[in-house]
Amino acid sequence: MKFSYSWLCDHLETDKSASEIGEALTNLGLELESLTDYSEYSKFVVATIKDFRKHPNADRLNICKVDDGTNTYQVICGANNVKKGLKGIFAKDGMYIPGTQIILKKGKIRGEISEGMLLSERELNLSDDHEGIIELLDDFQNGTSAVEALKLNDPIFEIGITPNRGDCLGVRGVARDLSAKGVGELKPMNFKKITQKEFASPIIWNINNDDNSCEYVVSRYFKNVNNSKSPEWLQKKLISLGLRPINALVDITNYITIDLGRPLHVFDADKIGKKLDMRLSNANERILALDNKEYTLDKNTTVIADGDNALAIAGIIGGDYSGCTDDTKNVFLEVALFNPNSVAQTGRTLGINSDARYRFERGLDKNMVIEGLEYASYLINKICGGLVSKNIEAGKLDNFEHKINYNFDYFNKTIGLELDPQKQIKILEDLKFQINKSNEKECEVLVPSWRNDVKNKIDIVEEIIRIYGYENIKQSVPSASIDEIDKIDNSSTNKKFKSIKKLKKTLISNGISEVITFSFHSIRAQEILKGDKSLKISNAISDDQSYMRNSMIFNHLESAELNFKKGFKNIQLFEIGPIYNSSQSQENILSLLISTEENINSIYKSEEFNFYSLTELTSILISSLNFDIKQFNISRSTSNTYHPGQSAELFMGKKLIARYGKVHPLIMEEFSKLKNCYAIELFFENLPIDSISRANKINILDSQFQFSEKDFSFLFEKEQNLYEVQRYVKGLDKNLIKNVEFFDLYVAKDLGDDSKSVTFRVTIQSKEKTLEEKDLEQLHKNILEKVSNKFKAKIRS
Amino acid sequence: MDIKKVLNEVTKEIEQSSSQQKLQNVKVAYLGKKGKITELLKSLKDLSLEERKSSGSKLNYLRIEVDNLIKNKFNDLKIEEINSKLKNEYLDISFPPPNSIASKAHPISKTFDEVITIFGSMGYSVAEGPDIETDFFNFSALNIPENHPAREMQDTFYIDDKDKEGKPYVLRTHTSPVQIRTLLNQKPPVKIIAPGRTYRCDSDSTHSPMFHQVEGLFINENANMGDLKGTLIEFCKQFFNVQNLKVRFRPSYFPFTEPSAEMDIAYEIVNNKIQLGQGDRWLEILGCGMVNPIVLENCNVDTNIYQGFAFGVGLDRITMLKYGLTDIRSFFSGNLNWIASNGFTIGDF
Repeated sequence: MKFSYSWLCDHLETDKSASEIGEALTNLGLELESLTDYSEYSKFVVATIKDFRKHPNADRLNICKVDDGTNTYQVICGANNVKKGLKGIFAKDGMYIPGTQIILKKGKIRGEISEGMLLSERELNLSDDHEGIIELLDDFQNGTSAVEALKLNDPIFEIGITPNRGDCLGVRGVARDLSAKGVGELKPMNFKKITQKEFASPIIWNINNDDNSCEYVVSRYFKNVNNSKSPEWLQKKLISLGLRPINALVDITNYITIDLGRPLHVFDADKIGKKLDMRLSNANERILALDNKEYTLDKNTTVIADGDNALAIAGIIGGDYSGCTDDTKNVFLEVALFNPNSVAQTGRTLGINSDARYRFERGLDKNMVIEGLEYASYLINKICGGLVSKNIEAGKLDNFEHKINYNFDYFNKTIGLELDPQKQIKILEDLKFQINKSNEKECEVLVPSWRNDVKNKIDIVEEIIRIYGYENIKQSVPSASIDEIDKIDNSSTNKKFKSIKKLKKTLISNGISEVITFSFHSIRAQEILKGDKSLKISNAISDDQSYMRNSMIFNHLESAELNFKKGFKNIQLFEIGPIYNSSQSQENILSLLISTEENINSIYKSEEFNFYSLTELTSILISSLNFDIKQFNISRSTSNTYHPGQSAELFMGKKLIARYGKVHPLIMEEFSKLKNCYAIELFFENLPIDSISRANKINILDSQFQFSEKDFSFLFEKEQNLYEVQRYVKGLDKNLIKNVEFFDLYVAKDLGDDSKSVTFRVTIQSKEKTLEEKDLEQLHKNILEKVSNKFKAKIRS
Repeated sequence: MDIKKVLNEVTKEIEQSSSQQKLQNVKVAYLGKKGKITELLKSLKDLSLEERKSSGSKLNYLRIEVDNLIKNKFNDLKIEEINSKLKNEYLDISFPPPNSIASKAHPISKTFDEVITIFGSMGYSVAEGPDIETDFFNFSALNIPENHPAREMQDTFYIDDKDKEGKPYVLRTHTSPVQIRTLLNQKPPVKIIAPGRTYRCDSDSTHSPMFHQVEGLFINENANMGDLKGTLIEFCKQFFNVQNLKVRFRPSYFPFTEPSAEMDIAYEIVNNKIQLGQGDRWLEILGCGMVNPIVLENCNVDTNIYQGFAFGVGLDRITMLKYGLTDIRSFFSGNLNWIASNGFTIGDF
């Protein structure tokens, strides 16, 4: 909402400056977004170039004699429009130049003294024009202030109006709110109602709609008007806000929309029928609107029509055909009350953002219908002449009456501030709320017609504190209670965030950086990773952000490729965030990507990153969450994201804990720059949170007695799960078998296609004694027999 | 028997031993079972008591002397040997290591952590809600009815899938739905914060289609607007680490709070950089207010007994302000150079 200082003063008697009013607006909740105020420019004055000559040491500079009405100054000037007799705007030594943000200093330029400066529009922040210095065309006296000479004496306010404050979408409403804040006095409306209304309107109304989208409409017919350019005062007002004057009739309606916040419409009465309908549109009915666009309407749009022709979209925009032009002789003025809901819906469906829609959908002051009609009639009659008809109306205009029972204590309890009932009443009365009945404890409040947002007693509290001032609210900090601290300690979500932090620290210390990528999938990622199609974003901004992701791997490959293009060869990154399986199933997981190049550094790196390096990293991550990778059930992953032969899934019962492996070559085709990519997905939310967050959970045997090691080699079936073998061997004697470490795997033709040779080392140690040879031999024998029986494994020497 | 002569002889032989093996041979030759000195010692038993005494002590001296000489020589030889071995083990210490870029945590992670810690110290536990929300939780329960202009304050992303009421799912436009979810699940008193991802269809250098917010909710019998003001000022002081903080609370509008406020903090530009805390310019930091009784009633909370406040803070925004970052899009680009420059090492995180 934009308005000028002088326009505000049409409604408000005030001695406050523009910046004081600006501050008051913000404190009222009408946030000042910008204030274009040039009052400080009064220090710059009109001055004339009396004479000038070339600067002896610089071709482009001139030495000017400048007269500001009091003195004559020598000014060095580089502008190309310097000429004798030019009147410009002059700044003296010590003045701040807003456009260049410097303070002007008297000094020598190429050896010649300069005592001031003639300014360009850019130096005054008036425009980007720096072609030359300002050249005044009117004959101002030297010494006249720049504010006057450049007509900068009317500051422009731009304020943000929150959706509840439709009443402030007119300058008068803003003035009313300011007066309640004590910024000035609201002036009464100053116009004469038309009393001579001698004929009946030849055009009549009929409200014919099913959805109550129009409850009331009133009109007047104006005969023999003379429509041409608006008077200067009206044009100036519109121009000050950047609006283009069109013709008097149109300008009047635009003016009243801004002045009173009351949209109204004028039809050229000779271009419309004699019987106007307020009706729902027919499907596919078309209308060419005043914005020069043709709209196709659906069945739910309320239109103003004569018979089959839609003339205007109710509450939103008029039709081009029935609009007023310079030739208009007879006018039909329409002031209506449309339902905010239907206006909002229609406006959104058609995508039209008009000043009328903006006001209607926020709800209008019912009492302003007749006021608006009278004010418009007065202006039309005054500016365009002619005769005015009696009112023609349809529907019913109810009185706005809303009462709220309010107890004064409610303010104190809500705000935490004692405010005397008398002071509360004073504020409400300043806001034009009527206090009907009151005693020491409570009162009945009658809400003014323009405040349809004030519905409940809490809204009354808000009104009072808004005027009393948020700055007067006393602050206090409620500290944590023992119960609250207990809740935090026991909260599983708090524990989860702690675990996430732990996980992040482990990852960072392993050389992996954290990224955050969008929760979206591109169309291509969706096709490849086959996520739930119903997770399509209906109004996506771009193809890259069309679905909710069911994996982070694609996003991370994109990041990896970006970083590869930046010169990174070995990329290690992770993200902890959500993936979406359906609209009702989201889980937070850790997803990690490692992309490696062929190793060229023979000195520092001896091995390529491979599946087993990845397994080791997975194991480290799981250990950091107090679990042991080997306690889970392992199986090959069936996910199409991964290489089928180089990927694994870990389960705890039926719950998936982790999936990791080499990224599937088909996916890698999309990322031709990247070579070997490995990923880990850790579904940490499937682990019991209390085990994760407990510290020092694992007990490791520490014995002082001698340990012994023995290696075993077996020939297993090729798909034998070695995690099972390991768990089995460990379980053979929990007291003595301390460790089972697998260290060799041999698969070759000579073993046959179905076998693999595996070697592991068993560490045996007792807590109680150094074991004797015969005990050890017994245990070795036991291991050999039991493993070969259990897994049908051949013992290799 | 000339002990001196033997000593001279053996000393010479020890000195000439060029390896531990040769020295060992010398040792055997003199001190071994059949060694010269051993034999001499053995022959003592054939002598008279007196002679045994005088020769014995001399011979013993000789044995100890030779033994020491050999030990010392052994030590010398060992050092010599290791030293000569070391000569072959010299590496090129100047061979540069591969370039490495520090791995770091994302600035948002650091902010999450600080927010949880600061509000934790004030008694707020952490709550969560899903990113894909129903119309009910994101809008209507929060007193934002359909067709209300307030819906247009937020550019909503919709999902094709529809909920039980037949309305399309939305990507939550704020973390406020967690207020509803918590109040429907938990009887007051309630004191929670809910950090998380939020979405609006908007994209430029200060708007990202995905961003982060933290919601705060405190409901009990008497939490009032003064408590709200104090809590948020305390948070900002701690988060921005500015003790002398000038703030401004001004009226605003959110359908789910009444009265509503926005909080600005003062700043000034010093050496082309934003300095928070003082000055006469204002930066909007957060929105807040007393929870609208309509919202509490939507959650079956008795408004004759309970009241309280709520707030929402843009986490990306306060992160940008705290660390002087200018483009929100770089937060989500996955650019490791950016993370290395702006992230946090394990010690700082």
